[in-house]
Amino acid sequence: MPDLIPTGTGRPLFERGRPACVALLCFLATAGAAAAGPYVPADENLVLAHVPAGAAHSSVSSRQQAAARLDVALPLAQFYISQARATSDLRFLGYAEAVLRSWSGQPSVDPAVRVLQATILQSRHQFAASLVELDAALRARPDDAQAWLTRATVLRVMGRYDEALVSCERLRAADPGIGELCKQSVRALNGHLRLAYEALQSLPREELTNAARAWRYSELGEQAARLGDDSAAAGWFEKCLRLAPDDLYTRTAYADLLLSEGRPGATLELLKGYGSMEPMLLRIAIAQLQLGDPRLSQSRPLLASAFAVEEERGEAVHRREQARFLLDVERQPFAALLAAQQNWRVQREPADVLILLRAAQAAHQPAAAQPAQQWLTTHRTEDVRFAPYLARSQ
Amino acid sequence: MSRIAAALVLVGALATASAQAHIASNGFLNLDVHGRSLTGSLELAVRDVELAIGVDANGDGKVTWGELRSSQPRLAAYVLQHLRFRSKGQDCALRFGSSQVDARVDGNYAWLPLTALCASSVRELDIRYDVLDDSDPSHRGLLKLTAGTNVQTAVLGGSNPWLTFAVDGSSRWRAAAQYLQAGVWHIWSGIDHLLFLLSLLLPAVLLRRNGRWEPVSRGRPALVSIVKVVTAFTIAHSITLSLAALNVLHLPSRLTESVIAASIVIAALNNVFPVVTETRARIAFAFGLLHGFGFASVLVDMGLPSGARLLSLVAFNCGIEVGQLAVVLAVMPLAYALRGQLVYQRGVVPWGSAAIATLALVWFIQRAFLPL
Repeated sequence: MPDLIPTGTGRPLFERGRPACVALLCFLATAGAAAAGPYVPADENLVLAHVPAGAAHSSVSSRQQAAARLDVALPLAQFYISQARATSDLRFLGYAEAVLRSWSGQPSVDPAVRVLQATILQSRHQFAASLVELDAALRARPDDAQAWLTRATVLRVMGRYDEALVSCERLRAADPGIGELCKQSVRALNGHLRLAYEALQSLPREELTNAARAWRYSELGEQAARLGDDSAAAGWFEKCLRLAPDDLYTRTAYADLLLSEGRPGATLELLKGYGSMEPMLLRIAIAQLQLGDPRLSQSRPLLASAFAVEEERGEAVHRREQARFLLDVERQPFAALLAAQQNWRVQREPADVLILLRAAQAAHQPAAAQPAQQWLTTHRTEDVRFAPYLARSQ
Repeated sequence: MSRIAAALVLVGALATASAQAHIASNGFLNLDVHGRSLTGSLELAVRDVELAIGVDANGDGKVTWGELRSSQPRLAAYVLQHLRFRSKGQDCALRFGSSQVDARVDGNYAWLPLTALCASSVRELDIRYDVLDDSDPSHRGLLKLTAGTNVQTAVLGGSNPWLTFAVDGSSRWRAAAQYLQAGVWHIWSGIDHLLFLLSLLLPAVLLRRNGRWEPVSRGRPALVSIVKVVTAFTIAHSITLSLAALNVLHLPSRLTESVIAASIVIAALNNVFPVVTETRARIAFAFGLLHGFGFASVLVDMGLPSGARLLSLVAFNCGIEVGQLAVVLAVMPLAYALRGQLVYQRGVVPWGSAAIATLALVWFIQRAFLPL
């Protein structure tokens, strides 16, 4: 559950090749919608932007003052990182980086600074660099619970389950509840899904903080979805969101569940007001497509240009989403497969397996699914959503 | 706060771990080089402009068009400090026009038209970009630099603020040359396309009369026959190659590869047991359509460069034609010279074709029926 970008799953749409004329029309529609250009607003009072807390120019000088004192810089950087998570706004990671900058350039970097830097790197999917920081922090402070937790998370996303379990084990000493959550979230991916699900259900809730409780619900929801128990999954996700409405990860996971159940209307309801966030907008677009909603003509070019900008920048934080966008919305299985393959090099979560399997099948390139199948054989990751693609590609 | 308590503060964040974030902060710098002048625009997110210079005069957390417009001189002054152009060691004089608003995927942007005049015609352009570096080190400038038909893109900012660009470089044509080469290489290494074409061309120097092959008497009909087949094949595969490479149409690779093998079997068997003798160009066209999909598989792997998609596609196609023409030019004069010999009429054409058909049949079985 401590994942970096939301899990993308969903019912396979449009697996088969489509008529050329439809594709051409889609292409023309997208090209037409993208053209707008600069203009002079007629109204002086037109609001162009809302400035979030901590992002005004006036905050720059206080930031600089904070950066001079480590005990102030650390919580401020932490505030920005949590803002980045709550709003899915990557700019806040840059602000955090700016606050930490004067402390990270020093010969002996404070372990707490390293852990925060590792978190920033993790959020940008620079997993290897994040591990370097974490290992350095843990050498200086071997009992840093946060560092072990972040390390477990990064390793889990990379699919290095054995090492992730070691990190979870180290956490257990500091907090048995969190350690257990950590461990079961890894075991669930490593051939023990049913057992992990049962273990998490019997985990005594009193020992957990609110945040950890939300994590447990969300993890249970995902595991139930992987087991194919959709109604239980929906129940867990809803419990989690009642406790932590800002949990964007769980919201997207829930949206995927609704989409896979063929409930696009409920998906739009769940994601109302979240359209400015790319992963949410992707689910909104897929729901609009299923509904034949004309607003798709707005969300689709928005997503296309967001992915284009990301690519231009040479970063791929949303490669998984991009692959799914190309497959489900743009219906370009070959391009989707390329994106899914690039994504596969970076992360190995069930959603990454699924998008690779789906794209390979849609592009009629069964050999391209080989790495994912190999992976599933080796690691025994269970997920009912894999079944249709595995059976047919055998 | 104890360390564990501090840890738990972040657990929530990790648990929710939704760093699915919005796109990071970008500025968009578009430049057109004409001689010694640069024209173009810089676009900065209104939010970033606020962070850089403070535009929200009344501090209500909202930036209005009026507030942005009245901060224009300060914005220009700020950008002058953080964006510099230099040619031959001399700064180019940078000026801004009045700003406008551009709506982008992550919000409204301030669009600043700019011109810069350098001392002399620009051959190499140095660009320094460190906008927002003090407050958001993850900010980057996305450059699109155009000089005639040559378009370059680059990411500015970060640890290396100065970057140098060769303005008269012909990277677009260099890319095209690579695709041309790839086209030639592909037709030579993928022997199945050549075998198909050769099967159709081998009898082009002969005539079918009374159930036997006879040499053509003059060069002209042979040439016409060769040109017809090659042209039909070329037109057909160009159509489907383009459609597939531009993502308009796709066929499953197993299907195309199997049918390509089958096409060779059919074309070669037609030389052993002739059925179609006068209209081989039609076979070339019909199966050429499928061979085009085969060619496209390479392009899908290579991808097409965004600045020069069409040019690279044309270059790749030309490469295929060049490679195929080279083989035709090497083989057909020899076939023409040998056309009167029995060894050609009764040996090369039927037995060579039979060998090709056998080989292609093996391919067909492999591609169509064996697991991949």
